[in-house]
Amino acid sequence: MKDTFRGGVHPRGHKELSREMPLRAYEATGEMVFPLAQHIGKPAKAIVKKGDPVVAGQCIAEADGFVSANIICSCSGKVKAVEKRRTISGAMQECIVVENDGQYTQKDPYTEKEDIEKLSNDEIIARVKDAGIIGLGGAGFPTHVKLMPKKPLGIKYLIANGAECEPYITCNDQLMRSSADEIIEGMEIVLRLFPNADGIVAIETNKPEAIASMQAAAVGHERIHVVALRTKYPQGGERSLIKSIAGIDYPITKLPADVGCIVDNVGTLYAIGRAVLYREPLFRHVLTVTGEALVRPCNFIVRDGTSFAELIEAAGDVREGKEAVKVISGGPMMGIAVSSTEVPITKTTNAITVLPEDAVEKADSYMTACLHCGRCTTVCPSGLMPQMMADAIIAGDYERYENKLYGLDCVACGSCTYICPAKRPLTQAFKKTKAEIMARKRAAAAGGNK
Amino acid sequence: MSTLHLSHGPHIRDRWTTSFIMHTVLLALLPTAVVGVIVNGWHSLFIILASIVAAVGSEWLFCAITKRKLSILDGSAAVTGMMLALSLSPTVPLYIPILGSMFAILVVKCAFGGLGKNFVNPALAARCFLMISFGNAMTKFPLGVDGISSATPVADLLAGRTVNITQMFLGTTNGVIGSSVLAMLIGGLILWGLDIIHGEICFSVLGGFTLVVGLFGGQGFDPKFLLANICGGGVVMGAFFMATDYTTSPVSRLGQLVYGCLIGVLGALFRVFGKSADSFSYSVIIANLFTPLIDMYIIPKPYAYRPAAIKLANGEKKTPLLQRIPKPVIALTLITLLAGVALSGVFSMTKDTIEEQKLAANMASYQEVCPDAVSFKPSEAAKEAIANLNGGVYGTKYGKAYINEAVVGVDANGQVVGYVISATSGNGYEGNIKLSIGITPDGTVKGIAFTELNETPGKGSLAAEPGFINQFDNRSVTQFVLNGSGSDGIDAISGATITSTAVVNAVNAGLDFFHSVMQGGN
Repeated sequence: MKDTFRGGVHPRGHKELSREMPLRAYEATGEMVFPLAQHIGKPAKAIVKKGDPVVAGQCIAEADGFVSANIICSCSGKVKAVEKRRTISGAMQECIVVENDGQYTQKDPYTEKEDIEKLSNDEIIARVKDAGIIGLGGAGFPTHVKLMPKKPLGIKYLIANGAECEPYITCNDQLMRSSADEIIEGMEIVLRLFPNADGIVAIETNKPEAIASMQAAAVGHERIHVVALRTKYPQGGERSLIKSIAGIDYPITKLPADVGCIVDNVGTLYAIGRAVLYREPLFRHVLTVTGEALVRPCNFIVRDGTSFAELIEAAGDVREGKEAVKVISGGPMMGIAVSSTEVPITKTTNAITVLPEDAVEKADSYMTACLHCGRCTTVCPSGLMPQMMADAIIAGDYERYENKLYGLDCVACGSCTYICPAKRPLTQAFKKTKAEIMARKRAAAAGGNK
Repeated sequence: MSTLHLSHGPHIRDRWTTSFIMHTVLLALLPTAVVGVIVNGWHSLFIILASIVAAVGSEWLFCAITKRKLSILDGSAAVTGMMLALSLSPTVPLYIPILGSMFAILVVKCAFGGLGKNFVNPALAARCFLMISFGNAMTKFPLGVDGISSATPVADLLAGRTVNITQMFLGTTNGVIGSSVLAMLIGGLILWGLDIIHGEICFSVLGGFTLVVGLFGGQGFDPKFLLANICGGGVVMGAFFMATDYTTSPVSRLGQLVYGCLIGVLGALFRVFGKSADSFSYSVIIANLFTPLIDMYIIPKPYAYRPAAIKLANGEKKTPLLQRIPKPVIALTLITLLAGVALSGVFSMTKDTIEEQKLAANMASYQEVCPDAVSFKPSEAAKEAIANLNGGVYGTKYGKAYINEAVVGVDANGQVVGYVISATSGNGYEGNIKLSIGITPDGTVKGIAFTELNETPGKGSLAAEPGFINQFDNRSVTQFVLNGSGSDGIDAISGATITSTAVVNAVNAGLDFFHSVMQGGN
């Protein structure tokens, strides 16, 4: 086992802003908005309508098909509307809007721990599915799908991802410090599904308290080990973790399960523990509100559907003399800049980063032609040649991009754009080209079917 | 809250910019420039400044005329100007660096699309442009103590003479402004340490060069000889600053190794077999031209698509190390080794023949200048005197003159009918001039013949024409005087004073040797 992968970059962490802030529950006050598409796969189907009374923990939209996920209401009140609202991506999407009555009446207190010894694997997975759990690391892949690989016996590693390599974000650090036992419980449940797997808790070395806490909690759990990984972005990427722990590189066409690995965020594992042992569905999760522009960066336990604006206010709002120039959903490497703070957080929102200056605007002013310095090729965690890929895009040679340069294997981690001294917008171009090639393929396939 | 900025991620960027990299390279060249100015005087400083100002000015002009975004602040033009200046002789007039920088920026860089688009290294292209246009000024180096323009250490090295490696290393010897190897190494190693230049390139250049010079240089892997070769002729500057130019070098590591080896091997071949002191500029430029080809064919596969990774992902065992070395690497190594062995084999087989031919050429020239002799026998007195010279310069009045051999010509009866002295002058325009002088027993010069003459065709080469060479025939003088009006005068070849001087010096050294050693000894 190596402690890292090839390539990667070392952006400044900025974690000191919030790393010592303990998790604290934040109860939203205004209306709560639940987009129907929060996960990878088909959007959920609303099962409530305007005027319906709802309580926290109640399923308000059902998974539509296998790769989809339930959506759970996080507050009590009345359904105000089912309509299009602006979401993080900036697009108007179908959402369920709930008028929050501030009572937080719950369907169930979720305090009674069940004995799950007699539960079958299928029942465990059903509970995960009912709870609407999706990957909380950012991608939002429905977890129950991940837990049903073709060959469960071939799974060698269950990796609990506590790397948290994105700059600024510290909520998983705090979660591991305060709820290590619950994370380990979640891991033990998943390990029941995979009898040949070892549980590995992977944490970057810059979180010594979390490592110690997880190590203490893992004592007595023979199948679970805690591993300290080098602090390097994107260490917490699924592929980087599998490379670091199992030593395997695999093409984009394969899933982690195909190479014997299941990777789940520590937050997801915590949610699995809660869902299976206490039947508590996923309607609140940890989130960091941070950035130099804020008075009091914090780590919160928040309810889904809370608006960005409210959480920014809860973190003391913008400092005097500073301006919130950029608000990012997530961290600065892979996060999405939002056009308005009047958008709701979703299950996968793990941070709100409020920056007083726009480094991209500054970088754009330094942009020059590509120097061919090759920095992008040394940092790419997949071993791609970003500079050649960019040239192929300029030349319009998608055939070379896809087949010679394996451009579709780009995971859009942003390392190449980050390191580029000429400030070329590489990742952006790769994302766009990948989408375009996939669209062409779909069009070709559709044409072929006629 | 006012309007929020929107952009694609990543939303933070590394602090390094193009400008930072270029200015760091400029700083890394500064030690070399400082040493150059200290050793060669203020004129060098003016050359450097003129070159940089002309380069930056040209780029500004281009941007202004074509209404492009002003790009001079990225520092790349200044780097080009600096590199060009450091590769010039400290005696060039200021219009040379100015013209060179304009050519580098306007023609090689801007005309091909500016930063990142030039197809060869602009500074080197400009240097070659200047070599063609102003050959005389470009190859003129400061005057030596004897008042004769002296050769650079590499020229000495190529002529088989001993050189002072310490001086070459420090840069206190005759050569271009940037000839301090020590200062170059300091700058180069700093850039390597900062990861600005690729070690794959620098060290494969040096490796390839050393290997070929060792194999074919004729002196084997003699550390002193190899070091002298590395320290001269811009090898270090080429390896660390010229070859590593981003735009004109391959992107992949394997490609960089191939490219670096190509430069090193070509540079060494040009030097060893082409006897060119200036080989490195050309080898870098040739390799620059191969870069697109290398980048087209050497594209490393992403980690997941390499054979070992595919096996591992399929659950198979790791393959042993030997099988994991990419096949092209094995093939390239084998080809290189085979070629090396074959070439060195051919060289060693032909080496004796070459020596024999050289001897035969010598004998022919002896016969020519001493026609009455049937055979030649060594002169004991001369042998001893030559041994005492220990390969050093003969006398003090003849520049870099050497006595190679002196023989006695005898007829069929064993009677002495003349003497032949083989002398060399190292002050030729293109290196060594070697000639044989025939002298009759009474001291009259019978005639001279060249055994080595590589002078400029149409100029210095005219020394071998009867018009010049026959002037020496049947003259009874103790010393010749170039352009002298008396009975001892020799008319110089018009336009080839350096060659004429060298020939007369060599002949005079030979006559001096004859009168003081052979005739005196008799």
